[in-house]
Amino acid sequence: MNPRSVLRIARWETTRSAGDVDRRTAVAFVVVLLVIAALVPALVAYGPTPGEGIYRVGVDDDDDYRGVVAAEATLAAVDPASSGVRTGDADLLVGDGGFVWADSAKGRASLAALRSATVAFNDRRMAGEDNQSAAFPVVVTLTYADQSVSVTGQQTGDDAGADAGDQADDTGDQTGDGTSDGTDGGTDDGTAGTEQPDSERDDDGSEAVSDLPSAPEGGLGGLLGEQQTGTPSSLSPPFPLRSLILAFAFLLPLNVVIQAYGSSVLAERINRRGEPLLVAPVSPADIVAGKTLPYLAGALALIAGIAVLVGAGPLAVAARAAGPLFLAATFLGAMLARSYKELTFVTVTISVTLTAYAFVPAVFAEVHPIASISPLTVVVDSITGEGTTAGAFVLSTVPPALAATVMFGLGTGVYREEDMFTQRPIPAKLLDALAAPLDSRLRVGLWTALFMPFVFVAELFAVAVLFVAPVELSVPLLLGTVALVEELAKSLHVYAGFERGRFPRTLRTSLVLGALSGAGFFLGEKLLLLTQLVGLPGIEVAQFAFSPSVVGLPPGVLLVAPLVLHVVTAGISAVGAARGRVAYALTVLLAVLVHVAYNVAVVVGVA
Amino acid sequence: MISVRGLEKRYGSVTAVDGVSFDVEAGEVFGLVGPNGAGKTSTLKMLCGLVDPSAGTIEVNGFDAGDPEMRRALGFLPEESPLYDEMSPRSYLRFFADLYDVDRAAATERIDAALDRLDLDARDRPVGDFSKGMKRKVAIARSLVNDPDVLVYDEPASGLDPITTNTVVEFTRELADDGKTVVFSAHDLHHVESVCDRVAIMREGELAATGTLADIQAEYGRVEYRVFTDVQVADADPAGDRYATVVASMDDVEGVREAAREAGGSVVDIRTRESTLEDVFLDVAGA
Repeated sequence: MNPRSVLRIARWETTRSAGDVDRRTAVAFVVVLLVIAALVPALVAYGPTPGEGIYRVGVDDDDDYRGVVAAEATLAAVDPASSGVRTGDADLLVGDGGFVWADSAKGRASLAALRSATVAFNDRRMAGEDNQSAAFPVVVTLTYADQSVSVTGQQTGDDAGADAGDQADDTGDQTGDGTSDGTDGGTDDGTAGTEQPDSERDDDGSEAVSDLPSAPEGGLGGLLGEQQTGTPSSLSPPFPLRSLILAFAFLLPLNVVIQAYGSSVLAERINRRGEPLLVAPVSPADIVAGKTLPYLAGALALIAGIAVLVGAGPLAVAARAAGPLFLAATFLGAMLARSYKELTFVTVTISVTLTAYAFVPAVFAEVHPIASISPLTVVVDSITGEGTTAGAFVLSTVPPALAATVMFGLGTGVYREEDMFTQRPIPAKLLDALAAPLDSRLRVGLWTALFMPFVFVAELFAVAVLFVAPVELSVPLLLGTVALVEELAKSLHVYAGFERGRFPRTLRTSLVLGALSGAGFFLGEKLLLLTQLVGLPGIEVAQFAFSPSVVGLPPGVLLVAPLVLHVVTAGISAVGAARGRVAYALTVLLAVLVHVAYNVAVVVGVA
Repeated sequence: MISVRGLEKRYGSVTAVDGVSFDVEAGEVFGLVGPNGAGKTSTLKMLCGLVDPSAGTIEVNGFDAGDPEMRRALGFLPEESPLYDEMSPRSYLRFFADLYDVDRAAATERIDAALDRLDLDARDRPVGDFSKGMKRKVAIARSLVNDPDVLVYDEPASGLDPITTNTVVEFTRELADDGKTVVFSAHDLHHVESVCDRVAIMREGELAATGTLADIQAEYGRVEYRVFTDVQVADADPAGDRYATVVASMDDVEGVREAAREAGGSVVDIRTRESTLEDVFLDVAGA
């Protein structure tokens, strides 16, 4: 790649694109950006609270509870007239004779809210005392026994008690947590099972903190901080509105950038406008890099600007991984689309998919380690003061960056006259792109390994989507999804190679290509070890996707069994790939079944 | 200057170019003619490195096709004029001059000279406002910003009005006079006849004939004899108050004379007609 040529093309792309946008559109875009810039920091800074002031509490200004009501966002102080509850002007009255609440769900909820607010208020007051031993004279140590849902990391006494309360029937050795209500072993906010690290109470160390046994199945879950893992069936996370707003703020501008970028790439292909560039003394890589650079710089600048606006720290650089990923997917899509109509379809699909990949997990920031797969989680953690481990940083940035690199590579492979200007359907052009780099048989294995980021991202995404389902449903679905993703990664380019005449359609060639592809996958899948860094295998459903080989097998078998599996299944699908589309589909199905059977036998059977 | 040997291009099961070989000397204008789908454009694109050959070799100015050094010495004009509507001719041409490492002063001089010769005055208006002929002139100017030794033009006058066509054809001839080597394809055989030193006729991906116009006409052309008689003889068509028979040789003329005499008449006129390039093209290209 020639940097001078790249910069020249980038400069040209910038001036050309600027001339392509009329003044009104530019102004409208700037206005949208300014609105986002103004709203997001305000929303983040003021901590939007759903249901703010929904419980009206009648309390005198000089009453002790007035301070409690003032400190709790969901409570609003109103006139303490005795008729308030009856007339509907208040949900709860605080008087000398005790509490009066409306005989309704809301009335009872207001009482519960006041109770938990009082507990929190008292805890904060106690935490402010100089003599902490006097403030918290009782220390409770909780000890957890093994249970059906994997738990990693450490938990504070009260909060842990809340969750343990749900599991108490199983374990039977739950101890009290010292809270005043004593209803369910630790619910302090009216939401059973809620896990929400409370730094105010943890800071002084007076709250009972247990040394929990480590998770049953590997992982370094504690690295993410004090969190509990499990599925939503065992968790009730607080509504993460702030994470949601942040994810929205980062992703919305990216969608504008990829629209402009996709149009620019497609414009080179419409009416053969890019043909003269291909004859110039520059390589396709120069052209692609030059055309991409302005949009990449714009996307990164937007992300950096938003990070600064919302007060994110230096680690927010992780969010920049989303920029290349969006652009790379758009570039590949624009290289495959035949018209602006198809490009719209492609970019919307890309936008929705990648937004879901970055957005959905980030919503669970502060709540669940699954959030670590999204670059935006690092930003959220940075703003909220949660620590980000090196493992979480790598997991959230490296796979998207690698996937972006491979997609740019695939797209650049078809950035040539014969592929750019043809009006073939998208699937046919995708096969062209996959077949283009297969100059030799060895390249098959290399490209299988290079596809690993896609496999990784797809499997992470599958885990992120499926972990909300009950384990009984999510595990079988995940086993099937993982097998399908991996078998496609091992065989799709082999099929493309046969279809595009890169290889002779012989049984021997099929088996050789299958073996090379399987071996490439075996080596490439070591990337999955990244998940160990953040303890994803600690999540029951993720364990089946990312650590099927760690359970109870001798080392020799551990090394050989996956290699044999991948070579055999890749060989099966390669044999079908050499015989046409129908045979390929059938053999992929067979390979998936073999793969699933292996996973069931090795993971479930041995475990 | 240009050497093509055993050139082949296959698109799947379709063979677009099949074993084409030819040479073009420096300063020569070499024309490729043939019906649609004969393989002209594929040949030109392989010549300038835009498309990889399936087989065969191409050498341009001492470099293989596609070599960056070869690209610097070559100017290509595609069949269409794919420009960027929002850019002006000057900014568009400067960008390409930059890509070819032409310094700013030389680029400005070269761009102005080319546009002057092509008679294009609107140099700072967006190309989107231009007519097809004006866009074509900008595209031609682009092919010259690097002052190439070799020019590959695909249908340079396609779809243009007669005046612009004449300008473009004359300009092509002037380029050859300046010492440029020009390879171009055309459908209009009059352009080929008026500009080309040598011609190759392509048919179904193969070269059907190559040589100077005189050589091709000598080899593939023919002379027709139109024999007029005052009586009806076999195969004769009425022509006013006479009858005309078209034959291909003097022996046949003698046969018509004998037939007329037997019918009680005589040959009253004989006219000859030599094949034009168009006739040769129709015969050789099989159109």
